[in-house]
Amino acid sequence: MLTGYELNAIEFHQVSKRFQLQEGRTLREFIPAFVQGRGFSHPFFALQDVSFSVARGETLGLIGRNGSGKSTALKLMAGVMVATKGAVRVNGRVSPLIELGAGFHPDLSGRENVFMNASILGMSGKEIRSKFDEIVSFAELSDFIDTPVKRYSSGMYMRLGFSVAVHSTPDILLVDEVLAVGDAAFQDKCMAKMREFQAQGVTIVMVTHALEMVKEFCHRAILLEGGHLVAEGPPAEVVQHYTETIVHTEEMVISP
Amino acid sequence: MDQGLGVSRRGYLGSTFGLPDFALSVAQLWHSRDLLWHMTVRHLRGQYKQSILGYAWAFVNPLSMMLILSFVFSQIIRIESPGDVPYPLFVLMGLLPWIFFSSALGSATDSVVGAASLVTKVYFPREILPTAAVLTKVVDVGFGLVILAALMFFFGHAPPMTVVWVPLIFAIQLLFTLGLSYPLAALNLYFHDVRFLVGVALSLLFYMTPVIYPVDIVPERYHIIFDLNPNALFIDAYRRAVLMDISPGADRLLLGLLIALLTFLIGYYLFKKMEPGFADRI
Repeated sequence: MLTGYELNAIEFHQVSKRFQLQEGRTLREFIPAFVQGRGFSHPFFALQDVSFSVARGETLGLIGRNGSGKSTALKLMAGVMVATKGAVRVNGRVSPLIELGAGFHPDLSGRENVFMNASILGMSGKEIRSKFDEIVSFAELSDFIDTPVKRYSSGMYMRLGFSVAVHSTPDILLVDEVLAVGDAAFQDKCMAKMREFQAQGVTIVMVTHALEMVKEFCHRAILLEGGHLVAEGPPAEVVQHYTETIVHTEEMVISP
Repeated sequence: MDQGLGVSRRGYLGSTFGLPDFALSVAQLWHSRDLLWHMTVRHLRGQYKQSILGYAWAFVNPLSMMLILSFVFSQIIRIESPGDVPYPLFVLMGLLPWIFFSSALGSATDSVVGAASLVTKVYFPREILPTAAVLTKVVDVGFGLVILAALMFFFGHAPPMTVVWVPLIFAIQLLFTLGLSYPLAALNLYFHDVRFLVGVALSLLFYMTPVIYPVDIVPERYHIIFDLNPNALFIDAYRRAVLMDISPGADRLLLGLLIALLTFLIGYYLFKKMEPGFADRI
């Protein structure tokens, strides 16, 4: 159906994603609605007929306002969600840097959580053991690795999550706003790691509101608006288009 | 690179989950065995971590149940246990498999909902969650066996040769429990009523399963209800094998295996059918 997809890390082919906005989720609400034949929920399209591809080794920036469908696109790439219509193809090991440390268990130590989180990201026990020291030293947590993570500061929590994700040798890295948090020193370290990934030919897709970073770091950018792909191309142009539309809508809001 | 296990195939997995997909998802599950192991250990370490008694709590439930039931049903209301088996032993041998079944099912039902933050962010075979929840309870069975051994020693009731059947019976019961836990875990995402329904069903089923009484005292005309209850079959088989030196009978075990296998296949199939919608529903 799709030609030459081997060259691409990610392909979206006329992808739509519909959500059911639920009124409730108890049987008491469901059964009357079902019996009366009326819909239990309202459909809502987070993405509508979106097609694009990401070449191997490319860095793509996804921009757009809140609710434009960026995170949904990322979730489709991560395989967490399934498209309602169209086809999503992903070739290679995906490592989502979406909300770091999502899988951490507060009562378990950093060490136990590294093993847990790394295996969720698809690393084998052998792989984790061989990279364990590297993961811990990158996160700068050598002294606290046997402390339960509930005692960690949010920065420590995030550093450990980031470190596990970047050491999972992904073919495709999905980044969702995570670099906005953390102190300047660690942000620099993250950016250095991302550049290293770029040099190694890892495909990176990032969702961010930091437009300067998109211009500086991405090879290409896509602008989503209300679930539609409205602009695609060199980051500087797409970012400019975006800032102009924001200004435009703000004027419309202010003027009446 | 795990190209064969990439995301691209998941698009159609939900719509037509046929035999080839079945093989593929079993392969994927095998690929994720490390994750299953870590997830089980995580449950286990997390379970009693906040408590002072720690793992000792695993003894408290079966032990206290055994004591109170023994008091009620051998001192107040008399229930004759078959053969020369002391009632506390008889009831404990019913309680251990029952507690395993009910606690495993309860915790598996909540397993996917409880891992919402993971399910919405990372893909991994979701059946890992209920499977790990059930496997965690296998460890509690281990603790229960210590109580059983101690009680058998106390009553001078030496284990007969037929105990060799126990691992097989347990394997069948495990398969059956997993098979039920998959669709319940998935349905609980769609309707939060399911967890309450499971709670009520389990407390009713406790009385309809021969835990506190032997099947022999049930009037003949009700036997059909017990024949349809796999846990009745398992508990009866355990009691024969461990306490009465009677082998559970190949035909009974085969029937149990058939029910368990069917439950597992249908349950797993339903789970996989619903899986693509999980992240949308949380």
